Amino acid sequence: MWRRPTSIHYSMKISPATDLLKRSLSEEQLSWAIRFLFAISVFLIVILSVSYNSINQELVFYSEQVDHAHEVLDNVQDVRTRLYQVTYYGRGYLVMIDSANQSNMLESLASVPHRMDRLAELTSDNPIQQVNVDSLKASFAVYEKLVQNFGLSDPNLIDASRKLSMLKNGTSRTDNLNNILDNMVSVEQKLMQERVISRDNYKQKIFRFNWVIMGVALAFLLSSFLLLERELKRTKRYRIELENQVENLNRSNAELEQFAYVASHDLQEPLRKIRSFADLLKTKNKNTLSEESKHILGKITKSASRLQMLIDDLLAFSRSIDSSRDVEKVDLNQVLRDVQRSIQPRIEEYDAVVKSQSLPTVWGYGNQLAQLFENILANSLKYCKPGLCPTIDISVSEIQGSAIRGVRESQLEDTFHNITFTDNGIGFRKEYAEKIFVIFQRLHGQDAYQGSGIGLAICRKVVSNHNGYIMADGEEGNGARFYVYLPKNSSTA
Amino acid sequence: MGEFNIILMADDDADDRFLVQAAFEDNDIHHEMMFFEDGEQLLDHLHTTSTEDRTRFILLDLNMPKKDGREVLRALKSDKALSKIPIIVFSTSKAPDDILSSYELGANSYVVKPSSYEHLKEVIKKISDFWLNTAVTP
Repeated sequence: MWRRPTSIHYSMKISPATDLLKRSLSEEQLSWAIRFLFAISVFLIVILSVSYNSINQELVFYSEQVDHAHEVLDNVQDVRTRLYQVTYYGRGYLVMIDSANQSNMLESLASVPHRMDRLAELTSDNPIQQVNVDSLKASFAVYEKLVQNFGLSDPNLIDASRKLSMLKNGTSRTDNLNNILDNMVSVEQKLMQERVISRDNYKQKIFRFNWVIMGVALAFLLSSFLLLERELKRTKRYRIELENQVENLNRSNAELEQFAYVASHDLQEPLRKIRSFADLLKTKNKNTLSEESKHILGKITKSASRLQMLIDDLLAFSRSIDSSRDVEKVDLNQVLRDVQRSIQPRIEEYDAVVKSQSLPTVWGYGNQLAQLFENILANSLKYCKPGLCPTIDISVSEIQGSAIRGVRESQLEDTFHNITFTDNGIGFRKEYAEKIFVIFQRLHGQDAYQGSGIGLAICRKVVSNHNGYIMADGEEGNGARFYVYLPKNSSTA
Repeated sequence: MGEFNIILMADDDADDRFLVQAAFEDNDIHHEMMFFEDGEQLLDHLHTTSTEDRTRFILLDLNMPKKDGREVLRALKSDKALSKIPIIVFSTSKAPDDILSSYELGANSYVVKPSSYEHLKEVIKKISDFWLNTAVTP
């Protein structure tokens, strides 16, 4: 009946804890995975924006180039038109010999150099066109001289054959100029075509690249989102599970308390009767009972007393589980004084000496800490060396959590009070240092030392209620040492 | 003593009633005793008869059916006519909570039922010595 509730109690307590431990590891990995995915996504998005920015610049550059080529072509066309006008008015002048055609011809001629300069300016970045412009200029210089000569001389004085040769000369010059201009046009057009093609290539390439990056970034974002979503769901599920576990735990604790009550009343009741009636039988029939009957009655009484002790100890143990009271500041010096007073008869019986350094004040349950001190002192008194006055030394120091064996990970950084009880009793072998804290575990037979093996189990329970630790150390025949580690800065025991 | 000599005991456990009676007898204390099996019987008795003037003390168990010891304590100590009767809580429980709450409810004494007959005899003798011969009651 006792075993069952405790096993429920512990299995519930331990399973979620180990489960959580396992999960917290994978959670760690998961959170790194999510961070990694997010980092990559952000990185890809940055690349995408840089890439789009450069596309934009590149496209602007290409259209500027195309515009530029168009401007060059327009200018070439302009020069061609002017030259045509020169020829047109020149021929008119040759036939009609009038001043209108003459001035128009010279005017058109004068407007050409300015446009050629503009062409030179526009094509300054293109060596081929520069060469073309240079030869255009050179060819035009010859033509200009020719036309100027013609324009300034009186046409009436020019004979027909000279006129014909001038006309021929002029025509061939114009053809030459037109050829150069044609050349320039074809160069510029080819350039423009090349630019359009390479722009399209670039566009195609960069867009394909961007689509890929965008796809990858989206995939990463989506997967990290899915991971987060899954994690949220899992966390929620675990939280609900944990809440259920806590509820179960509370219920089983309540059951345990109920059990303590049942044990205190219902179990003790019949036991008390057994003892009382055995007693009554012995008293009432003192004179008529045979020696054998008295002996048997004695056995019954003795067993009943032992059962009584077991039940009392069990009750004490179950009471030590209860941590429903509020924690309070407990001066351990006061606790020690109270305990010494309550076990004074035993201390005197053994002629024992208890020496203590000044003890700290801790947050905890006063009654439980008193039980702890009482049990340790009682243990030392009980296992004293025959013929030697028991002495118990209590010393105080501080210890770092990391120096305590089996400390919880969350307490590695904490500072603990180390209260050490050293006695000069019979001690125990080192390998039993853990076993003595297990409930009902005893190192000696019932005949040598009475007891139920619950005292130190209560100690461990009390100390763990205070988030502390208790260890033992000893040598057979050479005293025992109990180390009680209580957290120094804990207001929630 | 003739008219002022009744001892009342409320306990649902027949064995306990028997043992207490035996203990009184073995101590040579021969007061009139009345036994009740639960709190309700005890309260009914006190309310319907006028024995309260002759009741020396009440031995009261805490855990009983119908009305338990706590309810009886509350009822008696809030009743002007009955509150003067000394009540000795006589229970198996050693729980600090039970002891404290009993005194808070006005119990005059709290005695844990001894677990051996010898001890019970002693305790009954002490109770009787005190409440019958030492203490002055109204």
